[in-house]
Amino acid sequence: MGVTREFSADQKQLVIAIKGKFDFSLVQEFRQAYSHVGDTQPLVIIDLRETEYLDSSALGMLINMRKSLGSSVKGIQLINARPDVKRILDISRFDKMFTIN
Amino acid sequence: MKILVVDDQKANQIMLEGLLTGMGHSVVCVDNGQRALEVFNSVQPQIVLLDVMMPVLNGFETAPRLKELSGNVHLPIIFITALDAKDTLLRCLQVGGDDFLSVPFEPVVLQAKISAHGRVRELSYSLAQKNKTLNWHSNRMEREQSVVQHMLHNALRENELNKPYIKSYLRSVSTFNGDLCLGKEGPFGNYYLFLGDFTGHGLAPATGTLPLSQAFFGMASRGLSVSDMAAEFNQRLLNLLPDDMFCAALIIELSPGGERLTCWNGGIPDALVINSSGEVQHHIPSRHMALGILSTEDFDNQVEHLFVSQDHSVIAFTDGVVEMQLADKAMLGEAGFTQMVSRAWQCDPEQAFENVCQQLKQMMDANQQIHDDLSLVVLDCKRNAPVDSKQSTEHNHLPFTLSVTIGKREVEKLDPMQQLVDSLGKLEALKSHKTTLYLLFAECFNNILDHNVLQLDSDMKEVLGFERYYVERQQRLRQNQDFAIQIDIHYTPVEERISFAISSNGECPFPVDRTGESVATNEQLFGRGLELVKNFADKVEWREQGRILFVDYDLSRPPA
Repeated sequence: MGVTREFSADQKQLVIAIKGKFDFSLVQEFRQAYSHVGDTQPLVIIDLRETEYLDSSALGMLINMRKSLGSSVKGIQLINARPDVKRILDISRFDKMFTIN
Repeated sequence: MKILVVDDQKANQIMLEGLLTGMGHSVVCVDNGQRALEVFNSVQPQIVLLDVMMPVLNGFETAPRLKELSGNVHLPIIFITALDAKDTLLRCLQVGGDDFLSVPFEPVVLQAKISAHGRVRELSYSLAQKNKTLNWHSNRMEREQSVVQHMLHNALRENELNKPYIKSYLRSVSTFNGDLCLGKEGPFGNYYLFLGDFTGHGLAPATGTLPLSQAFFGMASRGLSVSDMAAEFNQRLLNLLPDDMFCAALIIELSPGGERLTCWNGGIPDALVINSSGEVQHHIPSRHMALGILSTEDFDNQVEHLFVSQDHSVIAFTDGVVEMQLADKAMLGEAGFTQMVSRAWQCDPEQAFENVCQQLKQMMDANQQIHDDLSLVVLDCKRNAPVDSKQSTEHNHLPFTLSVTIGKREVEKLDPMQQLVDSLGKLEALKSHKTTLYLLFAECFNNILDHNVLQLDSDMKEVLGFERYYVERQQRLRQNQDFAIQIDIHYTPVEERISFAISSNGECPFPVDRTGESVATNEQLFGRGLELVKNFADKVEWREQGRILFVDYDLSRPPA
């Protein structure tokens, strides 16, 4: 359960993994995970492989992240979403704001 | 020492028995060769003194048959002969005699010969005993090996190295392979590859295969991350292996669409990512210590992500490949191998794997031996979209109605909607809908809590902003003492439907018009909740003028 973050060795990728439930209870942890991205303009990867539950607050948090990071990152990718999670992202039109694969 | 005296002359028998008994040996005397053969098994002599000229069966005929009876253990035969002729002596040795003694003789000569042959006999006897023990152990070892082999075979039954996009070649020095190559597809079509090289080869390292493969298959089928795998494998091997044993390993995950690799390499030679023209695009270098060395605190499970294309292939191999000896005794080396691979791919990417294997085999044949286990794996990044193989299965569940009341304590201390969905998800028919059901329950529950109980207007999200809204919500939750939210769930397996109604003892109904449609307008960022619910549920409606929120969900809908 929770959020883990990890920079690649070359500082070009920041991988944030969310386990279990993704909702407002993770707000602090999640914000901390993407703070201090540094000035290397990393690619932010949100790994949703172990995200089983999410609700609209999680979607709000993702949008907040996107606003807050702006151009300090190369891009934001949502990866490994399970089919059910991906359907929620698709229906919310997140593919317009993030790269989902 | 037990000595058999074979002589037809009673006088000789008495003389020899007297002498030998005096020397401390036990003696049995018989009159001819035939008798000697008859008593052989019961007497079990360690040395035989044999007369040449005897009735019934003479010495020359007796000697080889006695030797035969003695089997694998050397039986010294000393001929007692009165004859001095050279050809007789020669014949004695030809028929299997070990020595001869011409009468008359000095007793001290007899004693010397007996003890000399006794030593040889002892040596032969203990050798035979040791051979027997050795044989027993060897049989037992063989049996145990076949048991272990059977277990290893079964442990690897789940191994998915037979996919069209993966090719592997493993060759081991002994029956058991110290190299280990595992592959498995994850739940969302991603593919996991594990290449390991245990220290040493043979049975001991092969046993490490069992816990490792179990962990690998388990974690891969749950779709866990490469970094979690690395940490778990390290922990397992650390607990299991002796200090001087460890496992170099490369763990790779290829994304379902084949566009991304996630890698962890601890001690395996740089894996190559090569394109169809044979150009090396990336190296996947070893950045870590092998598995089973570092404690959990010191272990680094940091992974690397690489972006790849459909025409890329990952080439992973153990050091047995680069340590391959060339004709001039030099090693093939990483550079040499890279060159070999590049050429093969340039030539024909389709045939490249077979081509490289062929070259490696030729090198092995030329050198007549390999010194280390050797593995080569090629993973093609070209992937087709995973086929959804979910089939509708019939579930024989009972219909039920479930009523849950949630108050302040539950909201503050527990995670009510997660617990609820976790419990519902125990039913096979609902399992695959857990994520969607959670969304439905969580959104509706929060709506009732926010609007009807805490009287938070949706507009406040706009006004306060996302995070301050939640701070305000926490505050109101603390102030609100005794609220109760009731959820009534109704499940009908035959119709494959689950519906629920949520209501509260709150004062403030949700603003709805007469048709039951919510009046609240499109809220850009935050009010996605109910809109989202509408997308998944068959029916979402406010009842009792915004006091009850009713949702009906069709479980027979095909998943995304």
